[in-house]
Amino acid sequence: MRAFSYERPTSVADAVALLAEHGPDARVLAGGTDLVIRLRDGSASPTVVVDVKRIPELDPAIREVDGWLVIGATTVMTEIAADVRVRRRFTALAEAAAVVGSVQIRNRATLAGNLCNASPAADTAPALLTYAAQVVAAGPDGGRRIPIDELFVRSGVTTLRRGELVTSIELPLASPPVGSAHVRRTRRRGHDLASVTLACAVDASGVTRLAYGSVGPRPLLVVDDTGVLANPAAAESERAAILEHMFAEASPSPRSMRAGPDYRLAMLRVLGWRALATAIARLRDGRLAAGE
Amino acid sequence: MIQLVPIEVTVNGRARTIEVAAHHTLLDVLRDDLELTGTKECCLVGECGACTVRLDGQIVDSCLVLAVEADGGEVTTVEGLADASGALNPLQQAFLDYGAAQCGFCIPGQLMAADDLLRRTPNPTVAEIQEGLAGNLCRCAGYEQITEAVQAVAGGRDR
Amino acid sequence: MSALVGSSPNRVGGIGRVTGSQAYVADIRVADVLEAKLVTLDCAHARIISIDADAARRVPGCRLVMTAADLPQPVPRFGPQFRDRPVIAVDEVKYHGEPVAIVVADSNDAAEQAAALVRVEHEVLPAVVTVAAALDAEAPLVQDPAIRPDDPRSSSNVLREHRVGWGDVDASAADLVVEHTYTFPMVTQFAIEPHAFMAAPDGDGIRVWSSIQHPNWLQRILAEVLRLPLSKVRVIAPDPGGGFGGKQHAKLEPLVAFAALRLGRPVRLVLSLEQTFQAVRRAAAEVRVRTGFRRDGTIEFQDVAADYLIGAYADIADRVVGKGSYPACGPYNVPAARIVARSILSHTTPSTAFRGFGYPQVNWAVESNLDEGARALGIDRLEIRLRNLAHKGDAFIPFDTPADGEWDQSVRKAAELIGWDTPTPAGHGRGIAVGIKSGPTTGLSHSTVRLLADGSVVVFAGTSDMGQGARTVFAQIAAQELGAPLDWVTVVMGDTAVVPYDQQTSASRSTVLMGNSVLFACRSIQAQLRAMAARLHGLDESEVTVDRGMVRIPDRELSVIEVLKPGLGRLGGELIGNGEARKEAEPGHPLGGAPAFFEFNCTAIEAAVDEETGDVTIVRHVTVSDVGRSINPLQVRMQDEGAAIMGLGHTLMEHYIYDDAGRIRNLGAIDYRIPTSMDLPLEIVSETIENADGPGPYGAKGMSEGALLCTAPAVAAAVRDACGAVIRDLPLSPERVWRAIQERATNGGREAER
Repeated sequence: MRAFSYERPTSVADAVALLAEHGPDARVLAGGTDLVIRLRDGSASPTVVVDVKRIPELDPAIREVDGWLVIGATTVMTEIAADVRVRRRFTALAEAAAVVGSVQIRNRATLAGNLCNASPAADTAPALLTYAAQVVAAGPDGGRRIPIDELFVRSGVTTLRRGELVTSIELPLASPPVGSAHVRRTRRRGHDLASVTLACAVDASGVTRLAYGSVGPRPLLVVDDTGVLANPAAAESERAAILEHMFAEASPSPRSMRAGPDYRLAMLRVLGWRALATAIARLRDGRLAAGE
Repeated sequence: MIQLVPIEVTVNGRARTIEVAAHHTLLDVLRDDLELTGTKECCLVGECGACTVRLDGQIVDSCLVLAVEADGGEVTTVEGLADASGALNPLQQAFLDYGAAQCGFCIPGQLMAADDLLRRTPNPTVAEIQEGLAGNLCRCAGYEQITEAVQAVAGGRDR
Repeated sequence: MSALVGSSPNRVGGIGRVTGSQAYVADIRVADVLEAKLVTLDCAHARIISIDADAARRVPGCRLVMTAADLPQPVPRFGPQFRDRPVIAVDEVKYHGEPVAIVVADSNDAAEQAAALVRVEHEVLPAVVTVAAALDAEAPLVQDPAIRPDDPRSSSNVLREHRVGWGDVDASAADLVVEHTYTFPMVTQFAIEPHAFMAAPDGDGIRVWSSIQHPNWLQRILAEVLRLPLSKVRVIAPDPGGGFGGKQHAKLEPLVAFAALRLGRPVRLVLSLEQTFQAVRRAAAEVRVRTGFRRDGTIEFQDVAADYLIGAYADIADRVVGKGSYPACGPYNVPAARIVARSILSHTTPSTAFRGFGYPQVNWAVESNLDEGARALGIDRLEIRLRNLAHKGDAFIPFDTPADGEWDQSVRKAAELIGWDTPTPAGHGRGIAVGIKSGPTTGLSHSTVRLLADGSVVVFAGTSDMGQGARTVFAQIAAQELGAPLDWVTVVMGDTAVVPYDQQTSASRSTVLMGNSVLFACRSIQAQLRAMAARLHGLDESEVTVDRGMVRIPDRELSVIEVLKPGLGRLGGELIGNGEARKEAEPGHPLGGAPAFFEFNCTAIEAAVDEETGDVTIVRHVTVSDVGRSINPLQVRMQDEGAAIMGLGHTLMEHYIYDDAGRIRNLGAIDYRIPTSMDLPLEIVSETIENADGPGPYGAKGMSEGALLCTAPAVAAAVRDACGAVIRDLPLSPERVWRAIQERATNGGREAER
């Protein structure tokens, strides 16, 4: 690994100042489960690594503030998957967090890091898209709230500006309750990167929000507000047509090692149906959390 | 220019003050600087778990933790499982009794993961054991015996 | 005293493994050691134009940058079969990852930094990485024809062709002929311990540490390459952290040794996992099988053409091809056979030994083809196997070792355990497969056993204990024969200066060959005890027997100590026994000798397939091996299950992925998938058949490879039985199973039931 200098700011302001000063020569270190791999293989070669885990303002405890469930920048997957509020209200996110790597990885990997790494296969992204989450960032020109579907550009690239640091990811508590589910395709049952990752949320008014990743440069959100998808009694051909239309923008890379494009597209449909069925069942039964 | 950072870390109950290179991982420092070679190096990408240690109450892949991040923290490695007199802890004894170690290279990591699992879930099902240890690859594939050893400790059974 | 053989005492050497004190090569601290890193190119085949190490040498702490030009000229070449591999790349890089230079420095950081600054001017050349490409008339030659001047094949990439046969295949009158081609991918051993090497000048000789399975063989290679007498080359071989064949033969030890001698200091090289993947693998294979059947399912002939894709240097790969393909017809009585197996060179990682040694590749094909015949004839797939299975004593391979086990017992047991005759649950399918692997064809294992004055025992045995538990087995034998408690037995291994010669640890040979050697050494000590007792009690030696730690004279029984103490008398001392187990070569035999035993396995699988996704769930995995006698039943079960699960790896998920330029794309653990604890069969059952009919101690045979031979055909058969998907190319990844299901649909519906 190439040498770099290590900074450990104790305030958001100091962290932002460092990031603004060094721009692309600085990398944020939260969980390290993506960054340290890149440091080792040389795909990231910063001169400064900014460790944000000792900033008291970045509280890792998940808390409710003004109608939002706030997940801090240093909150790890293990906490997210175990949190009762996430499991009940935002089931797909809990399910996604629970399958990121192994226990060892989940004890370090942060949600913020997963998003900022911007892999098209990030497992938490589809869930956050279906919940219309917001990413809160602090920057040299002040703070801003970024709707999650305005965050991803393509693999490794987000809309974050120079000097900006994600401080939290927030989920709207005021939204109508949904039944939701996360599913994915991997090459084995053991931990793996997904070749398709998908989340689906259905609310009582019949709106279906479906998001998927790893079938294009960025995770995509599609919404059906006709109520047809959410209605299991509707004609299958009608529902199938809507689902087809939802997957129209999927463009899996032909060069991927993990799965071929035709398999991915087929699995998108299979997973879409399965997640939809689970989401509907969970909404109907009030069994909102997996295993409840 | 290699930045050297002084850190204070408690390793297996012993407070250490050491200088580490900023870009060295906790795995590097444990093995090379502290000469605790029980923790193993294999994939270096957080997939195999051979480098598993306990850091501040959680198991982590030490190959993905920079040593500097452990400043002020507490680390337990496989060398810290036996007691001061060298008596094996119940998991270690069970691994022996149930034949869980073949070539042995994955075993330090498996022990750390199993130890963590039993703290969180004292009576795990087979599925919970398999999930809890899924981050520890064993190519000898002694998974059945490892699972039996963990079950034995959880159930308090003797062989 | 209670019998130790046949019980499962705790693993000798186990404590070190559970405390972390076990020292693998990378854990060994040697004073003044320097760290080495390799320089490699990111291409499969290139001509080296020039190497500029000036910037590298200026890195503070950099002590040496060594290339081919810095070695004795011509650069020494070595290899277990041919002296074809140069100590370091000479003029050309022939596979992705072949070292071009070695950098030695004070620290890993300095070595890494310096290695990154070595400039290798090179011209990328076309690479052949598939059988078709290698055989193409226009293909570049992997090896310089000048290396094999008398070989008519030297102008091709075919290294060797092996032909085995009997009867007249072409004159056979078969009612049904089934012909298909099957492929087996390139896979890698992926021991959790990456390869590690260390060398240090040792007086006027050298000491070399390596995770090597064959210490004496390495010693020989080093002595030759370094031009030193054997007595000046000391190989220290700590227990490997997994070997599986990948650590059998010399790889980078000669290079590290040269560096250490140049510098006059210890040099250490620890490979990364990615570099280990580039260093060792199994041969891939394309196998065309043509099987002739009579209407009643008996096999008339087998016509097998197996093309094995080996790497850029032969290593032991050609032996793998010859030996692995030799029993390609399987454990059956086959009236006529023609087996043609070729080793085909390519610009890839040199393939080497890997559990199964060339046989899993052909068995995948031959057993799958047998199922095809059974289906076409409407014969039950278990029944067709029992009908053709060789019986004990059958010369099923003419002029070779006859069938040496009651193999049908294993098959019936496996069938019973899988519930073959019970209805298959809906959505499930079943498969069954058998296989044999030839044991060692020649062998030599020396051992020395010392019975010390207090009755404790030291065993010197050069086997490599890489997890199979050899140390424990030898301790059990010695403890039982000499009446010592197991924890009074010390086993010394892994040091050529101290431990007598052992040919190798491979071919599942060690319990049989080294085990016998230890047994013979103990018998020698027993004979000395007999003489001692006779002398002490004024008896004739014929009146004394020594059996398992008890000395029987006409009127009573004495313990070993009761004879030893007075027998050794005032001077004290010890009794020393040497044992030699030898299997001589048979010059006329195509393999150099008939196998000492066959490893026989029957695997039966019940699987469920998610037809929408292609996911395969192994519901029940049964493996039954014919082992003669389990000296340590727990260790036998662990090896059997371990082989079964390793077999699931190449069956369901493992393969190297290459790009168009011949570079490996999935180096490392993220994209090369092996089974985790969550990928196990829902239930795995391992049983043994023990008829004490092996040539080893107490009737033991070797084992540990069997369960891996049959996994793929049994699983594929179960998948086909479950959903009709026909797959002839491994691995059965979810995507491939899904694709086969789609193809099944377009081919007109599900296949007939079994």
